[in-house]
Amino acid sequence: MSALAAETGSAEPRERFDALSWLTTTDHKRIGILYVCTSLFYLCVAGGIAIVIRTQLSRPENTLVSAPVYNQLFTLHGTAMIFLMVTPFAFGLANFVLPLQIGAPDMAFPRLNALSFWVFLCGGLVVFSGVLTSGGAAATGWTAYAPLSVLRIAGGSGQDLWIVGVLMVSIATILTSINFITTVFIYRAPGMTMWRIPIFTWEMVATSLLVLMAFPTLTADLAMLLIDRHLGGHFFDPAGGGNPILYQHLFWFFGHPEVYVMILPYFGVVSEIIPVFSRKPIFGYTGLVLAAFAIAGLSMGVWAHHMFTTGAVDDPFFSFMSFLIAVPTGVKFFNWIGTLWRGSITFATPMLFSMGFLMNFLLGGITGVMIASPPIDFQAHASYFIVAHMHYVLGGGSLFAIFAALFFWWPKMFGRKLREDLGKWTFWLLFIGFNVTFLPMHFMGLAGMPRRVYTYDASGPLPLLNFIATCGAYLMAVGVVLFAYNIVVSARDRTPVGPDPWGANSLEWATSSPPPETNFDTLPPIRSERPVFDARHPELDPGLAR
Amino acid sequence: MSAFGSWSPPTTQAALLRSDWLVFFWTGLAVAALVYGLIFFAMIRWRKRDDALPRQFRRNNRLEIFYTVVPLVMVAVLFGVTYAVERPVESVSAHPDLVVRVIAYRWGWQFTYPVQGITLDSKDPTDGPQMVLPVDRTTRIEITSVDVTHGFWIPAFLFKRDAIPGLLNRFDLRPDRIGTFAGTCSQFCGLGHALMHFSVRVVPDAAFVRWSRSAANAS
Repeated sequence: MSALAAETGSAEPRERFDALSWLTTTDHKRIGILYVCTSLFYLCVAGGIAIVIRTQLSRPENTLVSAPVYNQLFTLHGTAMIFLMVTPFAFGLANFVLPLQIGAPDMAFPRLNALSFWVFLCGGLVVFSGVLTSGGAAATGWTAYAPLSVLRIAGGSGQDLWIVGVLMVSIATILTSINFITTVFIYRAPGMTMWRIPIFTWEMVATSLLVLMAFPTLTADLAMLLIDRHLGGHFFDPAGGGNPILYQHLFWFFGHPEVYVMILPYFGVVSEIIPVFSRKPIFGYTGLVLAAFAIAGLSMGVWAHHMFTTGAVDDPFFSFMSFLIAVPTGVKFFNWIGTLWRGSITFATPMLFSMGFLMNFLLGGITGVMIASPPIDFQAHASYFIVAHMHYVLGGGSLFAIFAALFFWWPKMFGRKLREDLGKWTFWLLFIGFNVTFLPMHFMGLAGMPRRVYTYDASGPLPLLNFIATCGAYLMAVGVVLFAYNIVVSARDRTPVGPDPWGANSLEWATSSPPPETNFDTLPPIRSERPVFDARHPELDPGLAR
Repeated sequence: MSAFGSWSPPTTQAALLRSDWLVFFWTGLAVAALVYGLIFFAMIRWRKRDDALPRQFRRNNRLEIFYTVVPLVMVAVLFGVTYAVERPVESVSAHPDLVVRVIAYRWGWQFTYPVQGITLDSKDPTDGPQMVLPVDRTTRIEITSVDVTHGFWIPAFLFKRDAIPGLLNRFDLRPDRIGTFAGTCSQFCGLGHALMHFSVRVVPDAAFVRWSRSAANAS
């Protein structure tokens, strides 16, 4: 993180890098960059853990790591990717981009914003500090199901550190969501009506509302877990009148909306990028915004589809609600295809990653509809089929949009572009590597491989499928290393980029790269959701064909 | 399609479950072909050829209604299929031919046949006990756990059900093919999770009677 922060400092030749100013900053752009750098740090940590996991599973009955170590590894991998990478990257990106997109000088509550970041950073460190305890880090998966997570094992304070750390991250996420909603509702520039808000900002409003509804349930659930562990509570203990199913209900009441917290911002990212590289407005703007809120609303009523095999939920209701989410998600796909339709399409790296997002997410969406059907879930649940599905959504989906966003907004953040040739290599390594890793996992699951196992049987198709998956993981690792190399060589390039290197649409491209401390010297007139395009094409009527 | 279980599924329930798999698989494949086709077509057909700005259209209300309503109808039909399959799979016979109680624990299984007076247990944690079932008979499984949540999964039967402390789950199995099928714990339960195996052997009636007599004497 400090290396990246140093790069940032040198991006502005006028001023020297000043660590204290970064520690005390309340500037939304700097906080956004701190979030992005922190989440990229956790991407490297969690990705490194994934490489150890894949190496352990590259052949049956491998002994690279022991069962207790393996259980900590997949717990930390899931926790870091979900709570410390995919979610906070979106919040960091929105911290940087959202106030600019609506023509605001900063977030509504700058000090609260700084507090959120530091609480989030410390929360992540608390989770990982478990590795320093004698019992090691938490080893119950990112879901920490009770009663397993209630068991107190000698030296096992790793689980407590996990609970406290995730609680801190959860509270930071809630505070930032309040900040986003207030900023969008109060701080829009003159002319920026609600129906001219760029799609990414709309998706962040839907995301923030979801956080406010879902995350308090997580904090309650984790607090109850702490009480059961240390204060003699019996919330989840049947012997004391409690119920283990209650933990699952509360967890997934948070956990399923959290899935959409991790994907809606990235729907926003590709909805910003596809119009720019198709040189057309987004198709069906209103439908796209309504679809975001439909997804957010429906996602509050589907949590128990994670619990079909418990035999303790009303399967048909939750199944039907889950199927319904496919409808607004399909609307979004047709919006993106409609934007490509009759466009003038170029494939710079952000666009390549956005197309990769569409390809991967589509498969994850289709398998998602399949496992919403309980008769299929009875086989797929808790198997590698679910591992494949969930990685197609969050890895092939969100992570590809994260790289699209990095390449797209990097010049705005740091005043110079990342190298395109290296970017395209990164894309192909990650795209091929991703599919080689995760496509075979569907078949592993159907062949009977449960998730969260450190070893498997040497007979049957599993050894070959696992070996293929491990090869793909190494390809992805090469792609990520190449991206890091790209950051270093691009930082040496002193060619400044102008305010708008891509020919883009929304207001952040109307100011210098990087923007001045107060964001804008002047604002162009805002007469549609793409004021920068309107300013570039004064001959066109911005209200045309609306 | 053999990935969704063998061509002749080994239980009555698995045959139903497999039919649901196939409906969703082919529907998913058709949707994938359509949407991937549209994306690839658009990417190739309308890649940039000159600097002329394409027509800046933003909406098409009839098309938007069409692509909202058609998926809505599709998921309604898929829900109907799901419901039709799930009901018989979930239904529990009032008069099963056999009852087996399953108790999961860290890290093993105990199978009890209350009428026959048989108890089988994991002695060797890497192999686990073998449940013996008569072919073409309805067996009710009653399952719970004594410590944490486990999952009772027989991949060839396309089915699993969780073993949860404080909760007794019931489901029926009606094997219609003789054979031995591997089973494992599907819900992460700690250190021994990966090795928490068991198996199910389906035998003809007469063989089941012989086995149950000798097993009752042994336990």
